[in-house]
Amino acid sequence: MAHILEVKDLSLHYLTRFGQKINAVTDVSFTMKQGEILGIAGESGCGKSTLVNGLMGLFISPLYPTSGDVLVNGESLMNRNPDDIRRNVLSQKVSMIPQGAFNALNPTRKIKDIAADVMAAHSENQKLNKQQIYERLRERFDLFGMETEHILNSFPIQLTAGERQRSVIGISTLLNPKVVIADEPTSALDVTTQKVVIKMIFDLLEKNIFSTMIFITHELPLLRHVAHNIAIMYAGEFVEYGTSVQVVHDPRHPYTKALMGAMLSADADQKNRKPTTIEGAPPSLSKKIEGCRFAERCPSARPECRQKTQSMRMVEGRLVRCDYAE
Amino acid sequence: MFKLLKNLIKEPMFVIGTFLFLVTIVAGLFGTHLYTPSPDGMSYEAPGSAYWLGTDNLGQDYVALLLRGLQNSLYVGFTAGIIATTIGTLVGLFAGFKGGIVDDILNMFTNLFIVIPSFVVLVLVSASWPEGRSLTLIAVLIGVTTWPWTARSVRAQATSLRGRDHIALARINGASNLQIIFKHILPYLASYVFMVFIMQVASGILSESAISMIGLGPIGEGSTSLGVILNTAKNNSAITYGYWWGVFPAAIVITVIVFALYLLNNSMEGVFNPRLRK
Amino acid sequence: MLKKYPTVRYVLLRAIWYFLTFLVALSLNFFLPRLGSDPVDIMMAQSSFSSPEIRKQTEENLRKDFGLIILDKEGNILRDEGGNAIKASKFSQLVTYVGQVFKGDLGTSFKNQKPVSEIIMQALPWTIALQFPAILFGWIFGNSLGALAAYKRGVFDKALFPLALLMSSVPFFVFGMVLVYFFGIVWEIFPAVGAYSLELTPGFSLDFLFSVAYHYVLPFLSIFLILAGGQAIGMRSMGIYELGTDYIKYAKWLGLKETRVLAYLFRNAMLPQLTGLALSIGQMVGGALITEMIFSYPGLGMAMLTAIQTNDYPVIQGVTLLITTSVLLANFTVDILIALLDPRVKQSLAMDVK
Repeated sequence: MAHILEVKDLSLHYLTRFGQKINAVTDVSFTMKQGEILGIAGESGCGKSTLVNGLMGLFISPLYPTSGDVLVNGESLMNRNPDDIRRNVLSQKVSMIPQGAFNALNPTRKIKDIAADVMAAHSENQKLNKQQIYERLRERFDLFGMETEHILNSFPIQLTAGERQRSVIGISTLLNPKVVIADEPTSALDVTTQKVVIKMIFDLLEKNIFSTMIFITHELPLLRHVAHNIAIMYAGEFVEYGTSVQVVHDPRHPYTKALMGAMLSADADQKNRKPTTIEGAPPSLSKKIEGCRFAERCPSARPECRQKTQSMRMVEGRLVRCDYAE
Repeated sequence: MFKLLKNLIKEPMFVIGTFLFLVTIVAGLFGTHLYTPSPDGMSYEAPGSAYWLGTDNLGQDYVALLLRGLQNSLYVGFTAGIIATTIGTLVGLFAGFKGGIVDDILNMFTNLFIVIPSFVVLVLVSASWPEGRSLTLIAVLIGVTTWPWTARSVRAQATSLRGRDHIALARINGASNLQIIFKHILPYLASYVFMVFIMQVASGILSESAISMIGLGPIGEGSTSLGVILNTAKNNSAITYGYWWGVFPAAIVITVIVFALYLLNNSMEGVFNPRLRK
Repeated sequence: MLKKYPTVRYVLLRAIWYFLTFLVALSLNFFLPRLGSDPVDIMMAQSSFSSPEIRKQTEENLRKDFGLIILDKEGNILRDEGGNAIKASKFSQLVTYVGQVFKGDLGTSFKNQKPVSEIIMQALPWTIALQFPAILFGWIFGNSLGALAAYKRGVFDKALFPLALLMSSVPFFVFGMVLVYFFGIVWEIFPAVGAYSLELTPGFSLDFLFSVAYHYVLPFLSIFLILAGGQAIGMRSMGIYELGTDYIKYAKWLGLKETRVLAYLFRNAMLPQLTGLALSIGQMVGGALITEMIFSYPGLGMAMLTAIQTNDYPVIQGVTLLITTSVLLANFTVDILIALLDPRVKQSLAMDVK
């Protein structure tokens, strides 16, 4: 099988209580090979987190799929009943490392019990007793070079921020998922802890606990070091998709360029570049949008941009959603 | 603010609650003036063309009694609600805003009077006041025993507001504590305080009916309340004899007022607290 | 002090706090009835006496019982030169009262000359047997329904929520009256009054126990259902709040079983509901006592009603003191439960000591 993950023209929408439709994700397509790391970046509210739910096949009201398909190992996640997704996809095929580990862990449950819940939820065929479960947990957590006993026997509040984030990573990858989605796993952590967490993720990759990962962040410099490919998202669409070197060092879409400018980069290549801000706000996704979604904020927008809907096109080996990008 | 109102109007609970509440208010305010009671008849006459809702043990027209009872119960509920909300909001605001020792002391008082049941205080004071136990006295008693609930929740809100940037900014600009409390904290809590007030009115009406039910209700000409009507019915074993009209109309009226207030509170909570929406 | 055992230290501190609160409640229990008219005057006004001597004698005995006059060591009334009893100061009255309470002496009923403690001990088992299960199961049932409504939403929630809201706006005793009317009087399915058939002598016979169970149904239901309604409303909004939290989202992302996610939700939303129960237990007990009156259930509610109707102050005070004490105990228990059940509270206790 060539691709472990295939996303075809995926569109997702929310339905508000008053029947309003918000098109949070529009026509997202990409594929991933085994062992690939894809970075997705964009401003908050650009649809990154919504996309994550779609990639897991997890549609909890008010989120609904509009069109398109997601295939993991060639198997579609669309139009399946939620219990089927829960049993056969989550934690096993696609798993998620959320941001803000403190809030992600049930405050009244010990780490070992949360982890045991994950194992119990996916081992209906082979009934494991508590002792076996804890045994396997210890083995796994020992791999991470953590104080296994201390962490497993603690409530979340008794752990440090780094310990919590690493517990979350341990729990999310417990069942060796095919694809791991890490949603800003290092935000809200101090720099030292960030390094520890990143190192842990790479240890897991090295030990082959999992091999394919989508890394979502708004920190582009970090992505350049971590990801093979990078996709930039704006107002629910991918606007640029290429290798990390292409996207970070030689962006072509005006939004990507502006985004790079907005980052205070410590990078040597970009010396003396002052951070700039992008004026304006993304368009409302509850209405049908005519023309390019970035036109209102684009420094090099032309009159035609407001009428003609842009589609992805190949520009020197990368995909860019702009007719005038060179 | 306007948008919130628009959302509220789309809320069926809010519409029904407002409707029921307005009906009870109008009936309570004007009912006794508009309705001419039928002359007294026999004891416990069944509902019919002469008496729509029958008569009580003294042969009095139940419709007139209910209208008077509704008026008095609303009076007690609102008086108690205003007293409790005012004391509670002031205590809660100062405690939450000041913090430190002021907070500790006020909080201790609040907790003290939350754990000592207000029902007990009501019983003890009412029992020692056989003469001149007026509607106002009972309303004041309810008000001064139920304020800790308001204080507790307002304090929690005020504490969370205290740390906000605009408060710090006002302080840097030399605003006094009073200015900050009334200009910068109270407006943010207005909707919240209003919701608390609604609950205090409901609890005032319920407390009055409870205390009247055990025979410690208001005494005196024209001070019939819904609780007093129920108590009279119970003392005359109206239920045992099957005189349902002695109990059900009053019971329904109490339930409808309280239900209307709960509906208002819950629908507002849904709109002001977006997490409950969806 | 006790730095190594923060939980023990906390329990001790709470115990001290509740003891001080008890003293305040005790003083209120003493002073409040004396705010209005003098209770002895009220009682005297209700009775007629054959001669002024007997009248004076009765009044003095009452004042003695109330601790309103000074006694010597043998318990004789101290008199001034005119032969009138010397009135005790309010403070010394309070001291006498507190001393008596701690000895378990709650005074003597004015009505039937029985010790108040005896009257209370007769009524108390009935009240506990009725209220404890009704409040406990009502809490559990209501909270389960509320959590389920929050989790499921949809039709179940749309039907349950208004119903629960309506139930919670009905006072216990009003619902009791409705139940009595329909089930007791009109349809005659359940007995309308009492705790057992009066033809039977109380004891552990099968007939008697059956009769007790039969009489138990309506009063139990009138407390249980109303209380469950209120709890369901509270739990529903707590549950919806918790549903939006990250740990529930994460549990769903991990593909945990639905029952497990619901258990997470219940466990966390339950903690504030437990605090809520402790805080409102005073109101619940008050309402439930009135329900006892509707059913003429021979518990504390009836004892208090009888006492109120006959201005039997010692009994009223005894009952109110007991209510306050049990509410304080319930709050103390919940405080400790929360400290044991919520790791966050436990952790903050450990931090406080450091």
